[in-house]
Amino acid sequence: MSGTITLESVTKHFPGGVVAVNDLSLEVQPGEFLVLVGPSGCGKTTALRMVAGLEEVTSGLIRINDRVVTRLPPRDRDIAMVFQNYALYAHMTVRSNMAFGLKMARMPKPEIRRRVDEAAAMLGLGDLLNRKPRQLSGGQRQRVAMGRAIVREPAAFLMDEPLSNLDAKLRVEMRGEIIRVQRRIAAPTLYVTHDQTEAMTMGDRVAILRDGVLQQLGTPDDVYDRPVNAFVAGFIGSPSMNLVSATLEREGDGLAVAVAGARIPLPPDAASTWPGLAERTGNPVVVGMRPEDFGRPDGAALTVDVTRLESLGSELVAYLTPTGAADGQLLTARLDRGAGLVQGETAQVTVDPRRLYFFDAETGDAIDVRSAEG
Amino acid sequence: MITSPATRLVKAIAIVLIVFWSVGPIVLGITTSLSTQREVNAVPTHWVPSHPTAAAYQALLNGSTGQSTGGTVTQGGDFVHAMTNSAMIALGGAALTLIVATMAAYALGRLRFRLSGAVLALLVGTLIIPIFVIVIGLFQIMANAQLIDTKRGLILVFVATQSPLATWLLYTQVRELPHEPEEAALIDGCRRWQAFVRVVVPQMSSGIAAVAAIIVLSIWGEFLIPLLLTSTMNAKPVTVLITEYVGKYTTNYPILAAAGVMALIPPAILALVLNKRITGMLAGSS
Repeated sequence: MSGTITLESVTKHFPGGVVAVNDLSLEVQPGEFLVLVGPSGCGKTTALRMVAGLEEVTSGLIRINDRVVTRLPPRDRDIAMVFQNYALYAHMTVRSNMAFGLKMARMPKPEIRRRVDEAAAMLGLGDLLNRKPRQLSGGQRQRVAMGRAIVREPAAFLMDEPLSNLDAKLRVEMRGEIIRVQRRIAAPTLYVTHDQTEAMTMGDRVAILRDGVLQQLGTPDDVYDRPVNAFVAGFIGSPSMNLVSATLEREGDGLAVAVAGARIPLPPDAASTWPGLAERTGNPVVVGMRPEDFGRPDGAALTVDVTRLESLGSELVAYLTPTGAADGQLLTARLDRGAGLVQGETAQVTVDPRRLYFFDAETGDAIDVRSAEG
Repeated sequence: MITSPATRLVKAIAIVLIVFWSVGPIVLGITTSLSTQREVNAVPTHWVPSHPTAAAYQALLNGSTGQSTGGTVTQGGDFVHAMTNSAMIALGGAALTLIVATMAAYALGRLRFRLSGAVLALLVGTLIIPIFVIVIGLFQIMANAQLIDTKRGLILVFVATQSPLATWLLYTQVRELPHEPEEAALIDGCRRWQAFVRVVVPQMSSGIAAVAAIIVLSIWGEFLIPLLLTSTMNAKPVTVLITEYVGKYTTNYPILAAAGVMALIPPAILALVLNKRITGMLAGSS
């Protein structure tokens, strides 16, 4: 089974003038797991519901398997959807829940039985088929919802935050399980989440949405290494990238950036790494520093007050106030536990100038997205 | 919460008074129905019959003449007939009302359409119109439609009078139902009406059971409308028949009380059965 989900300039206006989704175009390739991610209210769920046919499209086209479905009711789209709160039929047993769609399709009973049993075996639900949803745990309900979707063998899968009602441990477990099942079914999957970790760990590609507008579409590495703007840069990665106002200055033949009370000389090849940078000398920019890029040897040093330390066991998250900074900025850094910082004291931390990100101070757009080798 | 002994005492007294207030008349009815007419009229009052007798029940079920029972004439079979009428009217009326109200509640609660708010307000607004205001017009309509003294006529009237409250109660429930199971059904291949029948109605079952109980009890106890619209045993419900046991000059109180006690039994059973079901479903729904 292979198919595609295609959105062409899909736009959704809600009554009252709210534009939930604006000119969204993307294609989920055959067998691909594409994650639509963004903060709440960014339109990702609306986009998914339009693909499902639960929400009308204001303008644009939606195709599933090259068939235009924009105006078709959900039942004619050959899709299956997994909902955030599972949306199981509370009055039916697990078996009836999973068989419901097949029954509606008037499939012969032996075939329904075969498919339900097969899906139940795949999801480890074999012993629970005669239970009612209320007798199941959250993870089991989630599996039933998955099972209900896969028995249909649909042309496309839609998932709306299916893991957000689970506890942290189960969520990690189910991530792997969903990916495993999806690989086996190999149907194109559009997966919506607000959780960037889920997006990064599960997606073949990730589409980042903000205020209904697609910001960037790429592989997890792509969007992490080469964010197109400060929003994507801040959204992808945990803890978030530090975004700090700075000024570009000339430093001999090269460039330096005055940031957080320090002056960081950029490497000699800065002009080729960031071609757009030189012309902005003397102008304000926004510098992005990932928390994990602090504390590397041979970086430029920043003088900071150690405001707070959080030990995660394996590493240390440090909240640092640059001593020279006027506006009381707080930087977040992920450091080795052996970094030797003491809360309340002043310290030097290094940051690798090669791993800085630069954004336009006004538009937030990345200044010449860095080349692939980063 | 810790309560003082005084508070608890006041509460206990209040509960005893409330129980006495509600159960007292029923107990009095039962003891009266088991007494003889002579004992009922005795002064000072005999609260507990000295020689309990089922004579009143026999008279009610098998018939009696005014002579043997002192003023009250009963026709054998009439009482059971009236009970059957009441049951048919109450169950038929409730069933039709629930069909109408469930669909109306869904439409008003889920499907957004112009003036849906106004329709609901209008519907609920009819609840404040006293039935006395419309009885004359109602009688004329029913007479023109040749529905006087028919069970189906009464059922139609009760569907009309009960639907607004039923719709309103179910509407509040529809508003609280999660949308997703219904949407899942639409994706699973249902048309909207199929999703309604197969997924939404089962989700509403606890509310429907509660409203069913309210409507059946309410129709069972109706008096004015059947008094107005019935004249023979063809459609006369038990509430109307009982009033006929009040004699012109004297009344046989044990028979009257026996009729009241028997008329109480079906709704009491219904309330007990549905009460269990409702609480059971509420507990298991989330």
